[in-house]
Amino acid sequence: MKKIMIEPITRLEGHGKIDIFLDDDGNVANAYLQVPELRGFEKFCEGRPVEELPRITTRICGVCPSAHHMASTKATDAVYHVDPPSAAKKLRELYYSAHMMHSHIAHFYALAAPDFVLGPTSDPAQRNILGLVAKVGLEIGGEVIKHRAYAQDIQTVIGGKATHSVCGLPGGMSKAITEEERKDFEEKARSLVEFGKLSLKLFNDLVLANKEYLELITGDIYTMKSYYMGLVDENNKVNFYDGDIRVVDEEGKEFAKFKAADYLNHIAEHTEPWSYLKFPFLKKVGWKGLVEGKDSGIYRAAPLARLNAADGMATPLAQAEYERMYQTLGGKPVHATLAFHWARLIENLYAAERLLELCQDEEITSPNVRTIPTATPDEGVGVIEAPRGTLYHHYKTDENGIVEKVNLIVATAQNNPAMNMSIKKAAQGLIKAGEVVTEGLLNMVEMAFRAYDPCIACATHSLPGQMPLEITIRDTDGNIVDRLSR
Amino acid sequence: MGRAKGLKTLVLGLGNPILSDDSIGIRVARAIRQRFDEKEVTVLEASLAGLDLLDLIAGYDKLILIDTIQTVDGHAGKVYRLEASDLDATLHTSSPHGINFTTALELGKRLGMALPYEIVIFAIEARDVVTFSEECTPEVEGAIPVAVDMVIQELNSIPGS
Repeated sequence: MKKIMIEPITRLEGHGKIDIFLDDDGNVANAYLQVPELRGFEKFCEGRPVEELPRITTRICGVCPSAHHMASTKATDAVYHVDPPSAAKKLRELYYSAHMMHSHIAHFYALAAPDFVLGPTSDPAQRNILGLVAKVGLEIGGEVIKHRAYAQDIQTVIGGKATHSVCGLPGGMSKAITEEERKDFEEKARSLVEFGKLSLKLFNDLVLANKEYLELITGDIYTMKSYYMGLVDENNKVNFYDGDIRVVDEEGKEFAKFKAADYLNHIAEHTEPWSYLKFPFLKKVGWKGLVEGKDSGIYRAAPLARLNAADGMATPLAQAEYERMYQTLGGKPVHATLAFHWARLIENLYAAERLLELCQDEEITSPNVRTIPTATPDEGVGVIEAPRGTLYHHYKTDENGIVEKVNLIVATAQNNPAMNMSIKKAAQGLIKAGEVVTEGLLNMVEMAFRAYDPCIACATHSLPGQMPLEITIRDTDGNIVDRLSR
Repeated sequence: MGRAKGLKTLVLGLGNPILSDDSIGIRVARAIRQRFDEKEVTVLEASLAGLDLLDLIAGYDKLILIDTIQTVDGHAGKVYRLEASDLDATLHTSSPHGINFTTALELGKRLGMALPYEIVIFAIEARDVVTFSEECTPEVEGAIPVAVDMVIQELNSIPGS
């Protein structure tokens, strides 16, 4: 095997690492994903007033600060046993719909689409957003930037700050929006709906219309069976902001439906000595290792999981796209990991439609956005659908609201077992004894990981400003035979 | 020396204010803000990367970025002066989460955004960027005045009035 060594330009501790181990014949025996973990967050929070946590938890991550802000705000509602007024809940959901789009648009255009539009094994110099824009046209690039900015503007106005919002308080929101702001949001929401439709059209024309790509999506190397988890509303439709957590099995049957406060009865975490990140699993099924099947408690979260776990979408255009996806891919549930990309675009359209609905809601400019808490604070759980999966925040405080304990189950962690399995399956299907391992092949291994849109917080804002990932291939003695770094 | 009239300069501190040495860019930016009139220089702080930076920097003529860096065998607290072209090594890569800064800049340029024509980066070698804390490690803390001086010198070197 050809030996490739590319030295990383930095030695960031924030490396994401994929280790691929070969057997004696040179085929893939195993593959592991390792991601770094930030330290001491619980300790940092202990002893602080719980109402500060919605502002502090946004700092966990530069990628999904709004998801942490909302999960944390909802946890403080629960700690103070306070139910926010209806207008506050709607305003939170409006803000959160904008966040979902801001994240989903970036993932599709910057990370997912280049693999399909340029080709998974195409020249890596072209296989990026620049190559994408060169191929689909500058005007599409302009639309991407414009609509990302719209989604960001809405969050900034409501959140009070561009990135690390300060709007959520126990019992509601810090301020209402004005009629003028509402009008501006409505106009942007209309444009975002059109952009949501355009994105699905592009996916249709550039990915689905290509037989080879459709085969890649539905093919065995990118398929794994698992349980699926997602928040659903009272009609079992996908909801990002609120509802019950629903879990379906690999046949799509409801396995569990529970409230956020009960999450510890349903989710347990396995640890492995080689990984900082834990391995959440369904407690009532049990941990059987990194294996597929009904007896294995491994579940998936994030877009495709949310669509699988629900009975549909709550808005008309997204519902039509939902039906089209399941029709095309052979019914529910879909186990194809690359279909996460499709599901993400359907969610993007849903978020736009929901945003527009909320902008037109009579109550949305109501000044009544806060219920002042009066109960003694003690303990509470907040849950939200982060762009990359269900996110749990659980706080315990003393009677003065001073934090005693914090437990978070973050979105990326929930997909950790599945990401490891998806990477292994892709590596086994792609890397064969005696065949040269090309950059393109390794990129195709990485595609199994990228579909989940994992967030590895600590590497997002240190130079060079992108998440470094290193793929290492080792022989049976553990010697490195191949390595690719970015 | 003063700043040229009409030339818009942005000093942007990047990092996470509660993640030990990762806060250094923001700390240096805060120190710069105290030394300059906001009419002369805009000073911002952000915990963003790649694509998200484009909107922030659009409309400025010159950009001074302050951030953390970790290099092979680097000494914590060392301050590097880099130019945008020094990061070109990472241009032609894809990334599992976001695009890098040079790719974002190139994209912005191709889309006709008004981006700074000059970009200088002050990068401070960090020791610990994974522990939540409001304190920097001592070596990195000690680099703050050095970095502040370098940024001031850079600002004063801008030709003008």
